[in-house]
Amino acid sequence: MTAVDPIIQIHNVFKYFGTLQALSNVCLDVHAGEKVVIIGPSGSGKSTLLRAINRLETIDSGRIIVDGKDVHSGEHDINRIRQELGMVFQNFNLFPHKTVLGNITMAPITLKKMPELEAKNLAMSLLEKVGIRDKADVYPAMLSGGQKQRVAIARALAMQPKIMLFDEPTSALDPEMIGEVLDVMTQLAREGMTMVVVTHEMGFAREVADRIVFMDQGQIMEIAPPNELFANPKHPRTQKFLSQIL
Amino acid sequence: MSPQRQSPTVKIDIGDGAAIPSKKDRGLFTAWWVAFVGAIVILGSLCLSYPDPYWRILAFLPDGIVVTFQVTLLSILLSLALGLVTGLGRLSQNRVWNLLASTYVEVIRGVPLLVQLFYIYYALGRIEAFSNLPPLAAAVLAMGICYGAYMGEVFRAGIDSIDKGQAEAARSLGFNRRQTMALVILPQAWRTILPPVGNEFIALLKDSSLVSILAVSDLLRRGREFASESFLYFETYTVVALVYLLITLVLSKAVSHMESKLNYYDRS
Repeated sequence: MTAVDPIIQIHNVFKYFGTLQALSNVCLDVHAGEKVVIIGPSGSGKSTLLRAINRLETIDSGRIIVDGKDVHSGEHDINRIRQELGMVFQNFNLFPHKTVLGNITMAPITLKKMPELEAKNLAMSLLEKVGIRDKADVYPAMLSGGQKQRVAIARALAMQPKIMLFDEPTSALDPEMIGEVLDVMTQLAREGMTMVVVTHEMGFAREVADRIVFMDQGQIMEIAPPNELFANPKHPRTQKFLSQIL
Repeated sequence: MSPQRQSPTVKIDIGDGAAIPSKKDRGLFTAWWVAFVGAIVILGSLCLSYPDPYWRILAFLPDGIVVTFQVTLLSILLSLALGLVTGLGRLSQNRVWNLLASTYVEVIRGVPLLVQLFYIYYALGRIEAFSNLPPLAAAVLAMGICYGAYMGEVFRAGIDSIDKGQAEAARSLGFNRRQTMALVILPQAWRTILPPVGNEFIALLKDSSLVSILAVSDLLRRGREFASESFLYFETYTVVALVYLLITLVLSKAVSHMESKLNYYDRS
């Protein structure tokens, strides 16, 4: 293969919440274009790890390098690094005082100095992509959960990030809305986006992931391609977890 | 509609100033009309039945009303600016700024407004640079500094009431702290902040009667001037009180109207 460095390199990361070990010697590489899905029981540190990648969480030791820049060293402008990292949250976190269009165009207009018309066109094409073009002028309060999350994905994509991080994007949704969000994510994966996804949706993991990371108690227990991990989990904890949820 | 809704608007209970009638609060809503119509009827019938002295008193007051509004408006502007800086300071990780803001709030809240007015007026008068400070400026300075501390707490609570996910979403798009505050947090906090700011405005308008002590010819002082010349203390202060009441009632209505307008993005 190529000698290209992984776009995300996570080296020996430790993090403590008081005495609780949230992350314990976590190491993980993600290559450009790769889709990595992180699974594990709640409290296993998977969200903490994801949030450490764009420094929404600090770490106590170790290094996280994104696109050649050390995220936690303070040597690089974190706001620049974050522009390369789209983030989608469990609770959507749309800006309620802005319309759907305003939510999507705000960052490119402010941060990239994109002309308003260009930003608007970009936003409309992204809304087309996530299938809610007709909602451009409404406020988030008028959207369903699934629609909100699709807008949140469009908002993140508007900065044209190299990597997309998803933190349990369907966990706050009513069951009938999960599909529409997963469809958008699957589509995104097909287009070659680098994705790191924390989720409980095993069907999605099986279909989309190149590799699945199983975490428990702040540690990575096992990393394997989906067919291997689901059919033939090696670690006893992975076996136990999968037997509980499948 | 999904069960995931925007977090409910947090009411900041300052418990000061006039009650702002909301349509949901039937008691207060009706009380507002009773007070408003009552005040107008009493004032009107007094002026019509006994134009001397009531109409004369009323005609003597407008200059004072203008001054009262001047003091109130300028003080509220000063206190908003101070309040924003203080509120941000109270939430800042910058230790010095935080400590300065907190100390300011503690000190101001611990000294009665009347004492502050005396202090700023007379103490500043002894400093060369401020010795020529006109009474109106001293009054605005004192009222603004005092209410700035309260306003700081309003701003702090308002900013604090915004869900942390909002800041996280903005920061992860690449906005820096300042942009996040200016573009995402404050525009939302404003909605929570406005009702208590309106309340403070009304409270300040009433407290501005204290500046009549400082040779500022506000509404109350105009009344005092009239009363001390005519010896019609009861009649004069009746009119003064009714005028204050009417102003306050109208303002509280305006604030509640503005508040309902600010909720535009919550309507589904």
